[in-house]
Amino acid sequence: MKTIATCIAAILLALSAGAAWAQSAGPTDPQIAAIVVTANQVDIDAGKLAKSKGHSKEVRDFALRMITDHSGVNKSATELVQKLHVTPEPNPTSESLQKGGDENLAALKKLRGHAFDKAYVDHEVAYHEAVLQAMDKTLIPSAQNAELKALLVKVRPAFVAHLDMAKELQTALGKSGA
Amino acid sequence: MRLLTGALVALSLTASAAAGPGASHTVTIENMQFQPQELIVHRGDRIVWVNKDLFPHTVTADKIFDSGSIASNASWSYSARKSGEYAYGCTFHPTMKGKLKVQ
Repeated sequence: MKTIATCIAAILLALSAGAAWAQSAGPTDPQIAAIVVTANQVDIDAGKLAKSKGHSKEVRDFALRMITDHSGVNKSATELVQKLHVTPEPNPTSESLQKGGDENLAALKKLRGHAFDKAYVDHEVAYHEAVLQAMDKTLIPSAQNAELKALLVKVRPAFVAHLDMAKELQTALGKSGA
Repeated sequence: MRLLTGALVALSLTASAAAGPGASHTVTIENMQFQPQELIVHRGDRIVWVNKDLFPHTVTADKIFDSGSIASNASWSYSARKSGEYAYGCTFHPTMKGKLKVQ
């Protein structure tokens, strides 16, 4: 369980490093593109694991929803960067996100049953909170291209809804105990 | 001829005032919301839900109507047959809620 907490800390650190950017120059559009694509991909990968390994149907359904929704966002993000001729540029934030995602997967793979569900959902709550914070403090304010900014604004409500859904699951899992 | 035109106009007015051919309404699904969130229609009207989000949604009122998955940029329509007030939502995203009033 310590490992999951470490992963969440890694995500928060990665994204708050992004927040620190806001005071200086802020990430460039190619860097934002890499952060967006990585953030979505990390959650798709966790969802794929939870869809097959999740114990409760609710958790598996939630995982499927994360795969579908974040894939939809990434499809649009990829189409947009191609249209704008922006090449996503890996940066410390996107790299930390990837590392945090990999560590989360490794930690989750060691768990099963209710413990797996709880760890996955706890991570989803922290992840969506961290991404929302990064969107509001860094990504949306820093985006220069109007269409890139508009895409971020457009997908924000989905992250809010996902966070609500994850929190509700977290409460339900807490009640089901074990 | 003029009389006939007048009769036709009168007929068509009567028709639309009664059951009518049915008006068409559009509800946009965007930013995880149904817009307008509440819609009032008449029996026989057609409602089209257009999904402008980047991923699928559903339009589902328990035991009344269920669109199934509506893909991004796709739409689904429903003809209101029975009067009543129907709360509906998206089964994929329970935070999304709308209301259809059929008069």
